[in-house]
Amino acid sequence: MQTIDNQVENKKKIKTYDQKEWIKENLSYKKDSGSWAWILHRITGLALIGYLFLHIYSLSPLTEGKAAFDAKMQQFTTPFFMVLEWFLFAFVLFHALNGIRIVIVDWADGAKYHKPLYRLSWIVGIILFLGMGFLMFSYEIGVLTK
Amino acid sequence: MYKYRASKNSGSKSWVIQRITGIALVVFMIGHYILMHYHPDSGHTYEAVLSRMQYSWYRIIDLSFLVLGMYHGLNGVWNIFRDYNLKPWQNITVLSLILILGIAFTAWGFTIIFSIPYVDTLSLSGN
Repeated sequence: MQTIDNQVENKKKIKTYDQKEWIKENLSYKKDSGSWAWILHRITGLALIGYLFLHIYSLSPLTEGKAAFDAKMQQFTTPFFMVLEWFLFAFVLFHALNGIRIVIVDWADGAKYHKPLYRLSWIVGIILFLGMGFLMFSYEIGVLTK
Repeated sequence: MYKYRASKNSGSKSWVIQRITGIALVVFMIGHYILMHYHPDSGHTYEAVLSRMQYSWYRIIDLSFLVLGMYHGLNGVWNIFRDYNLKPWQNITVLSLILILGIAFTAWGFTIIFSIPYVDTLSLSGN
Protein backbone atom coordinates (compact mmCIF):
# COMPACT_ATOMS: atom_id res chain seq x y z
CA MET A 1 0.00 0.00 0.00
CA GLN A 2 1.65 3.17 -1.11
CA THR A 3 1.06 6.38 0.79
CA ILE A 4 0.40 9.56 -1.11
CA ASP A 5 3.91 10.72 -0.29
CA ASN A 6 5.41 7.58 -1.82
CA GLN A 7 3.34 7.93 -4.97
CA VAL A 8 4.52 11.48 -5.44
CA GLU A 9 8.11 10.30 -4.88
CA ASN A 10 7.78 7.56 -7.48
CA LYS A 11 6.35 9.89 -10.10
CA LYS A 12 9.31 12.18 -9.62
CA LYS A 13 11.77 9.33 -10.28
CA ILE A 14 11.78 9.20 -14.07
CA LYS A 15 14.18 6.42 -15.02
CA THR A 16 16.78 7.29 -17.57
CA TYR A 17 19.49 4.87 -18.42
CA ASP A 18 22.99 5.84 -17.51
CA GLN A 19 25.37 5.82 -20.41
CA LYS A 20 28.33 7.23 -18.57
CA GLU A 21 29.62 3.89 -17.36
CA TRP A 22 28.52 1.80 -20.31
CA ILE A 23 31.82 0.05 -20.84
CA LYS A 24 32.12 -0.98 -17.19
CA GLU A 25 28.43 -2.00 -17.18
CA ASN A 26 28.89 -4.15 -20.24
CA LEU A 27 32.06 -5.77 -18.94
CA SER A 28 30.39 -6.61 -15.61
CA TYR A 29 27.78 -8.83 -17.21
CA LYS A 30 28.43 -12.57 -16.99
CA LYS A 31 29.10 -13.60 -20.55
CA ASP A 32 28.12 -16.87 -22.11
CA SER A 33 28.74 -18.06 -25.66
CA GLY A 34 25.91 -16.02 -27.17
CA SER A 35 27.25 -12.79 -25.67
CA TRP A 36 30.66 -13.55 -27.11
CA ALA A 37 29.10 -14.23 -30.50
CA TRP A 38 27.33 -10.87 -30.39
CA ILE A 39 30.31 -8.79 -29.37
CA LEU A 40 32.71 -10.57 -31.72
CA HIS A 41 30.27 -10.14 -34.60
CA ARG A 42 30.18 -6.43 -33.88
CA ILE A 43 33.97 -6.13 -33.55
CA THR A 44 34.68 -8.11 -36.73
CA GLY A 45 32.02 -6.11 -38.56
CA LEU A 46 33.65 -2.81 -37.63
CA ALA A 47 37.05 -4.15 -38.62
CA LEU A 48 35.69 -5.30 -41.98
CA ILE A 49 34.03 -2.02 -42.93
CA GLY A 50 37.25 -0.24 -41.96
CA TYR A 51 39.12 -2.71 -44.15
CA LEU A 52 36.75 -2.04 -47.06
CA PHE A 53 37.75 1.62 -47.06
CA LEU A 54 41.42 0.61 -46.91
CA HIS A 55 40.87 -1.88 -49.73
CA ILE A 56 39.41 0.75 -52.06
CA TYR A 57 42.33 3.04 -51.27
CA SER A 58 44.88 0.29 -51.85
CA LEU A 59 43.43 -0.54 -55.28
CA SER A 60 43.57 3.07 -56.48
CA PRO A 61 46.95 2.50 -58.24
CA LEU A 62 44.86 0.72 -60.88
CA THR A 63 44.05 4.16 -62.25
CA GLU A 64 47.76 4.84 -62.79
CA GLY A 65 48.48 1.86 -64.97
CA LYS A 66 50.51 -1.30 -64.88
CA ALA A 67 53.78 -0.11 -63.34
CA ALA A 68 52.23 1.63 -60.35
CA PHE A 69 49.83 -1.20 -59.62
CA ASP A 70 52.41 -3.98 -59.91
CA ALA A 71 54.80 -2.05 -57.66
CA LYS A 72 52.12 -1.62 -55.01
CA MET A 73 51.19 -5.30 -55.23
CA GLN A 74 54.84 -6.26 -54.73
CA GLN A 75 54.55 -4.52 -51.37
CA PHE A 76 51.42 -6.40 -50.49
CA THR A 77 52.84 -9.84 -51.25
CA THR A 78 55.64 -9.61 -48.71
CA PRO A 79 55.29 -12.15 -45.85
CA PHE A 80 54.31 -9.47 -43.32
CA PHE A 81 51.32 -8.40 -45.38
CA MET A 82 50.42 -11.98 -46.17
CA VAL A 83 50.15 -12.72 -42.44
CA LEU A 84 47.92 -9.66 -42.05
CA GLU A 85 45.81 -10.94 -44.93
CA TRP A 86 45.55 -14.29 -43.19
CA PHE A 87 44.23 -12.65 -40.02
CA LEU A 88 41.80 -10.63 -42.12
CA PHE A 89 40.52 -13.94 -43.44
CA ALA A 90 39.89 -14.99 -39.82
CA PHE A 91 37.74 -11.89 -39.30
CA VAL A 92 35.87 -12.52 -42.57
CA LEU A 93 35.30 -16.16 -41.62
CA PHE A 94 33.93 -15.38 -38.18
CA HIS A 95 31.61 -12.62 -39.38
CA ALA A 96 30.33 -14.67 -42.34
CA LEU A 97 29.81 -17.93 -40.45
CA ASN A 98 28.18 -16.24 -37.47
CA GLY A 99 26.06 -14.22 -39.90
CA ILE A 100 24.87 -17.42 -41.57
CA ARG A 101 24.07 -18.76 -38.11
CA ILE A 102 22.03 -15.61 -37.36
CA VAL A 103 20.06 -16.01 -40.60
CA ILE A 104 19.40 -19.66 -39.79
CA VAL A 105 18.21 -18.74 -36.29
CA ASP A 106 16.03 -15.91 -37.63
CA TRP A 107 14.51 -17.57 -40.67
CA ALA A 108 15.05 -21.33 -40.65
CA ASP A 109 13.77 -22.25 -37.21
CA GLY A 110 17.31 -22.50 -35.99
CA ALA A 111 16.72 -21.26 -32.46
CA LYS A 112 16.49 -24.89 -31.38
CA TYR A 113 20.09 -25.47 -32.44
CA HIS A 114 21.70 -22.10 -31.95
CA LYS A 115 24.40 -23.34 -29.58
CA PRO A 116 25.44 -26.38 -31.68
CA LEU A 117 25.39 -24.10 -34.73
CA TYR A 118 27.73 -21.72 -32.95
CA ARG A 119 30.14 -24.51 -32.08
CA LEU A 120 29.92 -25.81 -35.64
CA SER A 121 30.70 -22.39 -37.08
CA TRP A 122 33.80 -22.16 -34.87
CA ILE A 123 34.96 -25.61 -35.97
CA VAL A 124 34.35 -24.91 -39.66
CA GLY A 125 35.98 -21.51 -39.28
CA ILE A 126 39.13 -22.89 -37.69
CA ILE A 127 39.43 -25.63 -40.31
CA LEU A 128 39.06 -23.12 -43.17
CA PHE A 129 41.46 -20.68 -41.49
CA LEU A 130 44.17 -23.31 -41.12
CA GLY A 131 43.51 -24.54 -44.65
CA MET A 132 43.98 -21.05 -46.02
CA GLY A 133 47.17 -20.68 -44.03
CA PHE A 134 48.43 -23.90 -45.56
CA LEU A 135 47.59 -22.60 -49.06
CA MET A 136 49.07 -19.16 -48.55
CA PHE A 137 52.29 -20.26 -46.90
CA SER A 138 52.82 -23.52 -48.76
CA TYR A 139 56.28 -22.41 -49.88
CA GLU A 140 57.45 -21.50 -46.37
CA ILE A 141 55.98 -24.70 -44.96
CA GLY A 142 57.85 -26.65 -47.61
CA VAL A 143 61.10 -24.97 -46.63
CA LEU A 144 60.56 -25.57 -42.92
CA THR A 145 59.69 -29.23 -43.28
CA LYS A 146 62.62 -30.19 -45.55
CA MET B 1 8.07 5.80 -16.56
CA TYR B 2 10.83 5.86 -19.08
CA LYS B 3 12.00 8.77 -21.12
CA TYR B 4 12.42 7.42 -24.62
CA ARG B 5 12.60 8.42 -28.23
CA ALA B 6 10.24 6.56 -30.52
CA SER B 7 9.89 6.34 -34.23
CA LYS B 8 6.99 5.41 -36.46
CA ASN B 9 9.54 3.54 -38.56
CA SER B 10 10.02 0.05 -37.14
CA GLY B 11 13.27 -0.45 -38.99
CA SER B 12 12.00 -3.74 -40.38
CA LYS B 13 12.92 -2.98 -44.00
CA SER B 14 16.54 -2.31 -43.20
CA TRP B 15 16.60 -5.38 -40.94
CA VAL B 16 15.48 -7.61 -43.79
CA ILE B 17 17.82 -5.98 -46.31
CA GLN B 18 20.72 -6.38 -43.90
CA ARG B 19 20.15 -10.13 -43.84
CA ILE B 20 19.59 -10.40 -47.59
CA THR B 21 22.72 -8.41 -48.40
CA GLY B 22 24.57 -10.51 -45.85
CA ILE B 23 23.68 -13.72 -47.65
CA ALA B 24 24.50 -12.16 -51.02
CA LEU B 25 27.86 -11.01 -49.67
CA VAL B 26 28.73 -14.53 -48.49
CA VAL B 27 28.21 -15.76 -52.06
CA PHE B 28 30.20 -12.85 -53.50
CA MET B 29 32.99 -13.36 -50.98
CA ILE B 30 33.42 -17.02 -51.87
CA GLY B 31 33.76 -16.07 -55.52
CA HIS B 32 36.06 -13.17 -54.66
CA TYR B 33 38.44 -15.32 -52.62
CA ILE B 34 38.56 -18.06 -55.25
CA LEU B 35 39.25 -15.59 -58.06
CA MET B 36 41.87 -13.65 -56.14
CA HIS B 37 43.76 -16.62 -54.78
CA TYR B 38 43.56 -19.60 -57.11
CA HIS B 39 47.03 -18.52 -58.15
CA PRO B 40 49.34 -16.18 -56.22
CA ASP B 41 49.34 -13.79 -59.18
CA SER B 42 45.64 -13.90 -59.95
CA GLY B 43 44.83 -11.03 -57.62
CA HIS B 44 48.13 -9.24 -57.56
CA THR B 45 49.13 -8.41 -61.13
CA TYR B 46 47.81 -5.77 -63.45
CA GLU B 47 47.47 -8.29 -66.28
CA ALA B 48 45.19 -10.57 -64.30
CA VAL B 49 42.95 -7.69 -63.26
CA LEU B 50 42.94 -6.26 -66.78
CA SER B 51 41.93 -9.54 -68.38
CA ARG B 52 39.02 -9.97 -65.98
CA MET B 53 37.88 -6.39 -66.52
CA GLN B 54 37.58 -6.88 -70.24
CA TYR B 55 34.18 -8.38 -69.66
CA SER B 56 31.52 -5.79 -68.95
CA TRP B 57 29.44 -8.27 -66.98
CA TYR B 58 32.41 -8.81 -64.65
CA ARG B 59 32.62 -5.08 -64.01
CA ILE B 60 28.91 -4.96 -63.25
CA ILE B 61 29.23 -7.85 -60.79
CA ASP B 62 32.22 -6.18 -59.15
CA LEU B 63 30.41 -2.86 -58.79
CA SER B 64 27.32 -4.57 -57.32
CA PHE B 65 29.63 -6.30 -54.86
CA LEU B 66 31.00 -2.93 -53.83
CA VAL B 67 27.58 -1.34 -53.40
CA LEU B 68 26.20 -4.28 -51.42
CA GLY B 69 29.24 -4.43 -49.19
CA MET B 70 29.12 -0.71 -48.53
CA TYR B 71 25.42 -0.82 -47.70
CA HIS B 72 25.72 -3.82 -45.39
CA GLY B 73 28.74 -2.44 -43.58
CA LEU B 74 27.49 1.10 -43.14
CA ASN B 75 24.03 -0.06 -42.10
CA GLY B 76 25.79 -2.19 -39.49
CA VAL B 77 27.76 0.79 -38.22
CA TRP B 78 24.58 2.85 -38.04
CA ASN B 79 22.93 0.03 -36.06
CA ILE B 80 25.74 0.20 -33.51
CA PHE B 81 25.12 3.90 -33.03
CA ARG B 82 21.37 3.32 -32.76
CA ASP B 83 22.05 1.30 -29.62
CA TYR B 84 23.06 4.48 -27.86
CA ASN B 85 20.58 7.14 -26.95
CA LEU B 86 22.06 9.87 -29.13
CA LYS B 87 20.64 13.34 -29.14
CA PRO B 88 19.18 14.52 -32.46
CA TRP B 89 22.22 16.60 -33.42
CA GLN B 90 24.48 13.62 -32.74
CA ASN B 91 22.24 11.37 -34.83
CA ILE B 92 22.37 13.81 -37.72
CA THR B 93 26.14 14.19 -37.49
CA VAL B 94 26.79 10.45 -37.38
CA LEU B 95 24.38 9.72 -40.22
CA SER B 96 25.87 12.46 -42.38
CA LEU B 97 29.39 11.15 -41.84
CA ILE B 98 28.31 7.63 -42.68
CA LEU B 99 26.52 8.76 -45.84
CA ILE B 100 29.31 11.05 -47.00
CA LEU B 101 32.07 8.50 -46.45
CA GLY B 102 29.98 5.75 -47.99
CA ILE B 103 29.10 7.70 -51.11
CA ALA B 104 32.63 9.06 -51.48
CA PHE B 105 34.35 5.70 -51.26
CA THR B 106 31.76 4.01 -53.47
CA ALA B 107 32.25 6.74 -56.07
CA TRP B 108 36.02 6.27 -55.80
CA GLY B 109 35.57 2.55 -56.38
CA PHE B 110 33.45 3.26 -59.45
CA THR B 111 36.06 5.59 -60.93
CA ILE B 112 38.78 3.03 -60.31
CA ILE B 113 36.84 0.34 -62.16
CA PHE B 114 35.90 2.70 -64.99
CA SER B 115 39.50 3.81 -65.39
CA ILE B 116 40.61 0.31 -66.41
CA PRO B 117 40.83 0.34 -70.20
CA TYR B 118 39.32 -2.04 -72.66
CA VAL B 119 42.28 -3.35 -74.64
CA ASP B 120 42.84 -5.23 -77.81
CA THR B 121 43.32 -8.90 -76.97
CA LEU B 122 46.54 -9.12 -78.96
CA SER B 123 48.27 -6.60 -76.72
CA LEU B 124 47.39 -8.68 -73.63
CA SER B 125 49.77 -11.40 -74.70
CA GLY B 126 52.50 -8.85 -75.25
CA ASN B 127 52.54 -8.98 -79.08
